[in-house]
Amino acid sequence: MTVADLRRTRSGTTPQRWWKARGAIIAYAFIAPYVVLFLAFRIGPAIFGTFLSLAEYGLAGDITFVGLDNFSRLFNDPIFWNALKVTVLYTVIAIPLTVAISIGMAVLCNRTLRGMSAYRAVFFLPVVTSSVMSGIVWVWILGEEGPLNWLLTSVGLPAVPWLNHDIVVLLSLAVVSAWTHFGYDMLILLAGMLAIPTEYYEAAEVDGANAWERFRHITLPLLKPALFFVIVLEIIRSFQVFDTIYVMTGGGPVRSSYSLTFMIYDQGFGYFEFGYASAAGVVLLVITLAVSLVQRRLMRGGTT
Amino acid sequence: MSAPVNLDETLERSTAQAPRATSAGRAGRRGRRRRPRWIHVPLVVLAFATAFPFYAMVVLALQPGKPIDLPGSLLPSNISFDAFSAALGSDRTAGWAWNSAVYSIVSVVLVLLLASMAGYAFAKKRFFGREVIFWVFVATMMIPGHLTLIPLFITISELNGLDTMWGLIVPTLANAQAMFLMRQFIQEIPDELIDAARIDGAGELRIYWSIILPQTKPIMATLGTFVFLWHWNDFLWPLVSMRSPENYVLTVGLNSIQEQNVPLATVMAAAAVTFVPTLLVFLFLQRFFVRGVMMSGLK
Repeated sequence: MTVADLRRTRSGTTPQRWWKARGAIIAYAFIAPYVVLFLAFRIGPAIFGTFLSLAEYGLAGDITFVGLDNFSRLFNDPIFWNALKVTVLYTVIAIPLTVAISIGMAVLCNRTLRGMSAYRAVFFLPVVTSSVMSGIVWVWILGEEGPLNWLLTSVGLPAVPWLNHDIVVLLSLAVVSAWTHFGYDMLILLAGMLAIPTEYYEAAEVDGANAWERFRHITLPLLKPALFFVIVLEIIRSFQVFDTIYVMTGGGPVRSSYSLTFMIYDQGFGYFEFGYASAAGVVLLVITLAVSLVQRRLMRGGTT
Repeated sequence: MSAPVNLDETLERSTAQAPRATSAGRAGRRGRRRRPRWIHVPLVVLAFATAFPFYAMVVLALQPGKPIDLPGSLLPSNISFDAFSAALGSDRTAGWAWNSAVYSIVSVVLVLLLASMAGYAFAKKRFFGREVIFWVFVATMMIPGHLTLIPLFITISELNGLDTMWGLIVPTLANAQAMFLMRQFIQEIPDELIDAARIDGAGELRIYWSIILPQTKPIMATLGTFVFLWHWNDFLWPLVSMRSPENYVLTVGLNSIQEQNVPLATVMAAAAVTFVPTLLVFLFLQRFFVRGVMMSGLK
């Protein structure tokens, strides 16, 4: 009989009702603050937000039920389709960029070297930086007469309107996002790499595999779970990007970086259209849930 | 939002693996393979590239009133701290920094207290609905913050909490990740420890306070660091809930002076000031992880 079995029989022979058990009442007292907080500030608002998407909220605080009006307005609104396009485009640019940089950095950092912890610390620094601070500095770096354009023009290349062109602005935001996140993703991948037994590499080396072949046939396949996790994380992050857009572009130029989250904020707190903004919020929720669901499916498919 | 949690695990995993990697490296050095020195070249270049925005921020803050001239501005000859005194001297910035500090520190204390209490109950107590409540909590991590932003704004405004510190702090305390991590950690504490305390006549509160809490120190330090950084850098919720300029937190205030006609050097100085606590906490975090490795080595 294992310990687990013993425990099960022990608890099985106590005919006490849960609400009478002294431990249970104390347990409820211990979780009570969290339950109240979650009901009031997580679960409640999620339900309230979904309800608001079916309603109109007057400035006096009056709520009128309008059915699916907000959604039909949303699906006929070019601003919404543009926001969705911007969000998807941004995601498509940001993810390969961030993931590629993270893998490269992880490979580079996956070795014992004097000073490696210092390098890793520097690479990790942007992760803990406030998005407002990095946004402000990057606006200067990417500015028309900023150091990046100075570098380009001094080697004879034309200056690029990093923040003033409809597609380039998304690339610029993706670069800032990659700078911010690669240290984090790199650590996840690094942990995945450290878990790969060194014997595999030794065996491959004996067989005459070069560095690229070892990476391609050992590291990459065994890194799949970590890589997958990083990609899903980046998808969710990209769909919820807000701070850098707010600080760096304000959705511009001419709504070129007007993402779905920026639309929710703008409709809600720019125009005080709470119902309409909540409808866009529900779309964001549906997308997030769909991504997580696909992730679950793929994870399950991967492990069996 | 889910970021801090996984980071902990990763760092702990990677540092836990470190001794093995080191011994492998040593074996390598002794034996067949020599580690190439040239690898320092790309690492140094990339480290400089990564650190450039921080460098640019500080360098620009040190040259107030001078027109920007590249590359000269990046290698300043005469520096002045006027922009820093301009940024720090205004009552506004000092007030914003105070607000950020209160927001972050009070949140850390309350989140750690509440999360450890709930985590303890979920890990060690048997009660009706335990699994359901726990997983509902965890599932709320999937709800995007932008969906709940407007309902939260309405709720807090109905409670007259807009523009108040409690209205800013309280909604952020429902931290599912913290509770989840606490529960995972407390599950590992042996039941015998609790049983022994109970036999010795310790009450429930005493068991929580003198047996459980001291055991959670490592996770408290990690979680506390991440909760602090998350609140210190938080932008969207303070932006909508703290409406009047004297109540801004530092991130919102920094953004507001960027939008006004304030000299670039002053903006950069304020940005650098925002960054200082982050840097200090980050350095502390690094040290904490080193200690964590040493502790796991002793076990």
